[in-house]
Amino acid sequence: MQYTPLHGEYAAHNGKVVDFHGWALPVQFAGIIEEHLHTRQKAGLFDCSHMGEFVLEGADAIAAFDALVYSDMRNLRVGLCRYSAILNERGGVIDDCVGMKLSEELMYLVTNAGPLEQVHALIGGVPGIRNVTAETTKIDLQGPLARDILIELGFDIAGLQYWNGKSATWKGESIVVTRAGYTGEVGYELFVPNAIGVALWRALAQHPAVAPCGLGARDTLRTEVGYPLNGEDLSEDFSPLESGMDRLVKWDKEFAGKAALEQQRKTGDHAVLVAIKSADRRAPRHGFEVKQGGAVVGMVTSGTFGPSVGLGVGLARVAQSVAAQGTALTAGPRDLPVEIAAIPVYAGGTCRKKFV
Amino acid sequence: MDPEKLWYTEDHEWIGEVNSVYAVGITQHAQEALGDITFVELPELEREVAAQEETAVVESVKAASDVYAPVSGRVVQVNSELETRPELVNQDPYGKGWFYKLADVITDDLNELMSADEYRAYLAKLEE
Repeated sequence: MQYTPLHGEYAAHNGKVVDFHGWALPVQFAGIIEEHLHTRQKAGLFDCSHMGEFVLEGADAIAAFDALVYSDMRNLRVGLCRYSAILNERGGVIDDCVGMKLSEELMYLVTNAGPLEQVHALIGGVPGIRNVTAETTKIDLQGPLARDILIELGFDIAGLQYWNGKSATWKGESIVVTRAGYTGEVGYELFVPNAIGVALWRALAQHPAVAPCGLGARDTLRTEVGYPLNGEDLSEDFSPLESGMDRLVKWDKEFAGKAALEQQRKTGDHAVLVAIKSADRRAPRHGFEVKQGGAVVGMVTSGTFGPSVGLGVGLARVAQSVAAQGTALTAGPRDLPVEIAAIPVYAGGTCRKKFV
Repeated sequence: MDPEKLWYTEDHEWIGEVNSVYAVGITQHAQEALGDITFVELPELEREVAAQEETAVVESVKAASDVYAPVSGRVVQVNSELETRPELVNQDPYGKGWFYKLADVITDDLNELMSADEYRAYLAKLEE
């Protein structure tokens, strides 16, 4: 089992620890629903130090990474973050990731815990690419009050817009801050050296508007707004076209698996990843078969009760013929009625808010 | 209900008697393990259930679980308040969080169940 630098902090908040991809991480503190609602109303604090971080220095290092993703990372503007996926030669999604240009020839890359070894094997040995996962504490603060709280604690993030990022300093240490979010609310990711990780966590956890949150709330929050999770909704068996990323693919550049994707695009009969919701509080669950009139038309990839919508919500990979919004389907052994929903299912999020 | 005076199953249901009618619910341990309960599906009134038959479903944020009848009997009342307030199961598992009530119970079935002391010992063993 691996432990993050913040492992010792969970007990003070009654954290209940589980095994997540080999990491001992809190699934909940006060309770999933309470943490979820607190994040939507104020601010939730998440230890995401299990995730992977790489620093890519120089045009060649960025180009080596760019060759594995469907997005244009080389020409990304300084200060912007871009969501993408690292693909295998068959066009399958090894991992979804966020790249951010710190300066013209310096990129910060954030990946997931599950496929980290695989991603490291692909890019870790490239000259100019450094895997900084082990030395980095990643703390997320997400919620409508997150910005005010960080400003109060001395972070220079007042003008940081949605899907922007920058390097900054805190307590004399160099840090990286992005404003991407994984909850539908205004959200910041703080990448700090392990030496100040605990101090930062404590400063945030002590704030009266902040509640520590576990993987459970992270999952309900992201599912309500239709964000996929690697290992649940995303896997190497499915391409970006089958993973809700079809509109993000840059067809005018080269990347791993492009030929396979072009073939899929030409045939056009691939499945698609969609949001679903149930009619009441009963939830679809990962692995439920999705049916229409008794015939299997897909599979639920994520499902939970959505505390902010008061309904079961989820993601499912279904045939395009049933993917239109409002299509009535059933899911699971007890034929739970579900329908294809617009993303995000919870539309009240604050994430896009512009600050001056 | 007084948890000391109930019978318990290995699946963490409880059953308790008042005037020959038996209330059924899930235990403190069960509600803690499930976490926030979001939905409870209750049996139909007048349904005849057999011991160990699936009679209800309890869903938490994380998962759905079946609830089995501890004994054989006939469903005479269901706790319809759980339809809108399933969190009562978390808040008060032996009181307002009861699921349904059985009449015409086959009382011999109760001999197969655990007392409060036996259930405590069973939980201690599970945690070993």
